[in-house]
This record gives sequence, structure tokens and C-alpha cells, in this order.
Amino acid sequence: MTLPTIYMISTSLKPNGALYEYPPRLFPSKATIENYIYVIKEVDFYKNFINSVIVSVSTIAIVALVSSSLAYCISRLNFPGRKFIYVMILSTMIVPGMTLIIPQFELAVFFNMTNKLSGLVPIYVSWVVPFSTFMIKGFIDDVPKEFDEAVFIDGGNILTIYRHIMLPLASPAIATVSIFNFLTVWEEYPWALTVLNDKDVRTLPIAISGFFGQHNFTQWGYVFAMSVISLLPVILIFIFCQKFFVKGLSGGAVKG
Amino acid sequence: MRKRVQTCLLLFPGLIIFGLFTIYPIIKLFVMSFFDWKIGLNQTSQFIGFGNYVRVIEDTVFHTAVGNTLMYAVITVPCQIIIGLAFAALINCITKFKVTFRVFYYLPVITSWVIVSLVFKYIFNNEGLLNYLITEILHLTNNNIGWLDRPNTGLLVAQLLGIWKGIGWNVVVFLAALQCVPKQLYEAGDIDGCGNFKKFFYITIPHIKNTILFAVVMLSIGAFNVFTSIQLMTGGKPAHKTEVILTWMYYKAFEARDFGYSAALSFITALLISIITIIQFRVFKND
Repeated sequence: MTLPTIYMISTSLKPNGALYEYPPRLFPSKATIENYIYVIKEVDFYKNFINSVIVSVSTIAIVALVSSSLAYCISRLNFPGRKFIYVMILSTMIVPGMTLIIPQFELAVFFNMTNKLSGLVPIYVSWVVPFSTFMIKGFIDDVPKEFDEAVFIDGGNILTIYRHIMLPLASPAIATVSIFNFLTVWEEYPWALTVLNDKDVRTLPIAISGFFGQHNFTQWGYVFAMSVISLLPVILIFIFCQKFFVKGLSGGAVKG
Repeated sequence: MRKRVQTCLLLFPGLIIFGLFTIYPIIKLFVMSFFDWKIGLNQTSQFIGFGNYVRVIEDTVFHTAVGNTLMYAVITVPCQIIIGLAFAALINCITKFKVTFRVFYYLPVITSWVIVSLVFKYIFNNEGLLNYLITEILHLTNNNIGWLDRPNTGLLVAQLLGIWKGIGWNVVVFLAALQCVPKQLYEAGDIDGCGNFKKFFYITIPHIKNTILFAVVMLSIGAFNVFTSIQLMTGGKPAHKTEVILTWMYYKAFEARDFGYSAALSFITALLISIITIIQFRVFKND
């Protein structure tokens, strides 16, 4: 299972001359980190990295707020159209994100968001809001109603309940969807490919794939060095948040 | 009254984003599909009725793309489920090293599509590791096989990649389901003298049927969404023979700038996937 990944790491450690050596080797005869040094020093790698961080962090922060408040309203409050809104949000989960790429592109052109990082965030938010809302709502449904009533008796209102009961209590669910959303956004490719052009605004997936087409013969060592570095945050999050991770992956799978 | 204001305060940010970037595009996509659509200032789009739909239906590349996408789904979905379930059943029996195993099957799941596509492209290259193994080590053939240059094998590599990347997710989902099967049932099976295989087919499978159906639904949606791997590994070459629906849609929109056509194609695809999903959910609910 891990063989392709190991091969990627070992290729990233091969000296440049050995990349096209024949016969190809699984492991480098002499490991070197020259590819990593090149990528970090010569390529705008840190820019791409920071772009990816900015886009991911702002997306997950916005989604955490928006989805949790939506989920709370749908789960607990009585207002006209509540069911309709929930069904609509759920049913859009079926629509494949990429099929809406053309009208979304037109919106990006209209709002003058092409070639900017701000062109990515709203679309990413809209892509992950349905699933996040669904997951958080499932969690809030299980919070006892007595908590709300207690706050009402103490003179609190809807906003106090949201702020002081729901946000803290639903934080495991919010953490789960946030980690999941981070992964989605960190690796998103088609939309970023469509909207971003300039080198300065590229995110990591675009930088990696763009780098690969740049030269007539691909510098695989550089490509994979970049790939390994971009994989590091994901692996770190995975190691530290295994519990949330499993929940995110199997979300909705086992019920009844 | 204040209650209403507060509700709106919580509700509106989400509804505005959702309405503007999801609902409006769905409606807009439908409208666009009836036009020879142009994007940009000072461009006028011409209404052409069902013209785009007729073109999509008559388009031979679209037929290939639909066939390839279906092939991709038909191969990758069952393979992922069977292999994932087998792995999950094995891991469920193991008491030690569970966490160590996790790293193995998670790694492909968390590695991005861009990266895994490039790794596979490197391995299946003309002068890649696989061809070297086949020609020089195993001596199966003398000539390098152009895995990614041929329609059938190109698609095969994409399917292999899809399966490899997806197994981990299936293991997670099935492990969670297996842990919910009551232990007493297995003990009862032991008393009745059932072997491991009998227990698996008569106790485990019926108990996790819902999870299997859930996996089928999710994986089918995923299979119809295949894009990045094809785009990066073959780019639809040779002669659009490895094209899938989304790569063809993307090509038509952003290379050929044929937005109206592409919108019609997207709309048909979205409708198809929704229908398939709804049917699957119906089956799901009846049980």
C-alpha cells in the first residue's frame, strides 16, 4: 500500500543526475537533499505554501461559524421554511462540485475575484458548507434541550445559547469537519486551476502540477520534493488528530 | 420580535453564501445551457434553445467519456468495497499494531490527488519503474509498454489509482461498522458450529448491509467526479479516448471556451448523478 509513497520520498532524495538513470532504482544510491534546497530557495515555494495556508485557514474558520449557526437554527429554532432550507442544503450534497464550475467562474469574473486568493475562499466555503452543516446538526440534535431552557430561564437569548452552549458543546463535531475541510481545501485542484494564473497567487497543488509541465523534461526530483513538503502538514494533523479524523472519514456511515 | 432578529442574524450569513454560490449557479447553469454563452464584458450570448443538448447527445467524444466514466465506476466501486471489507475484517481480528496499520492504509487517503497522480505517472512512465520491472527483471516482454499512451491501459492506470487511494476510506468505514456487530451473534454462531466464512457471510454481511450501501452511494458519486487523475496522467489523450465526463466538460469550457455546450453537459451530468443517487438512497431506505 505505501510503496508508491515510499517511491515518491526516495525519488525526492535522488541527486538530479540519477533521476533519468537507467535502470531506475527504487532507492537512491546516494541520498541527497539538494532537491529540497532548490525547491525552497529557487522556487516561490514558500509563497505557494503561505497561499495554501491562508486559503485553508480562512475557509475552515468561515465554515465553522457559518455551518454551526446554520445547524443550530435548523436543529433548534422554529421559523418558517426551516425544513425546506434543510432539504435544499442536503440535496445539493449530491450535485458534483465541478459541474457548477462555469457559473461560479462567471461569478468570480463578475466580482473581480479571478487571480486572487479571495476568489477561492467563497467557492470552497460553498462546497463544504452542506456536509459540515449536516454533520454538526447531527451532533446538536443530541444535545439535551434542557440546556437551552435553563439559559432562557436565566434571561439568556438565542445568541447566548449559540455562543455559550452550542459552540462549546459542538466543538468536537466542529473540529471533525474542520479537519476534513482542511484536507479538501489544501488539496483542491480544479477550481484553483481555473481561477488562478499568476505565480504569486498559486496554491500548492497548482504549483506542483504547474512545475511539472514547465520544463520539457520533468524534474521529478523537484516535483516530489515539493510534494513531500506539502504533505507534511497533512501528516502532522493526521498524527495529532487521529480521533477526529476517523470520525470525519466515516461520518454518516454507521447509523442504526 | 427580538427573537426573529436573532434568528436571522444566525441564519443569514450561511444562507447568503449558500444561495449566491450554490443555488444561483445551479439555476444559472440551466439558463446558460440554452445559450451560445459568452463570458466577459461587452459579450452578447445568443439563445439557441435545445441546440447545446442536441450537440451533447450527438457528440461522439461525450459518448466515449460517458463510457469511460461508467467503466471507471463499475471497476473501482466494487473493487474498493471488496478489498476494503477484506482489510477491515482482517484488521478487526488483529489486537496488536492496529495504529501502525492505520498509517499504511491512511497514507493514500490523505495524499492529495495531484500528488498521487504524479507519482503514478512517474511509475507508469515509458522509462518508469514498472516497465523496467517487466522488461529487465521479469523478462515478460522486450518492449516498454506505453501504459499511459494507450486508451485501455491509460484508463486502467487511473482505475488502479482510484482503487489504491480509496481503499483506506473503505477500511475506516467498514471497521466502524464491524465494531457495531453484537459479539453474541458470533458466539451463537460458534455454538452452532459455523466456520469463519459462514459467520462472515451470514452474520457480518447482513449486519453491515446499510454501511455497504452507503459506501456504494458515496463511491459512485466519487467515481463520477473523477477528474484530477485523468487530467494530469493522460489529459484525455490519445485522441480523447481516455476522456471522462468532467475532463471533457472542463476542456470544452476552459480550452474551447464553448461555455453553453459545457453547461448543457454539466447539467446532464448533474441530473444523471442526482437520479442515480436518489435511486440508490431509495434502495437504502427500504431496508
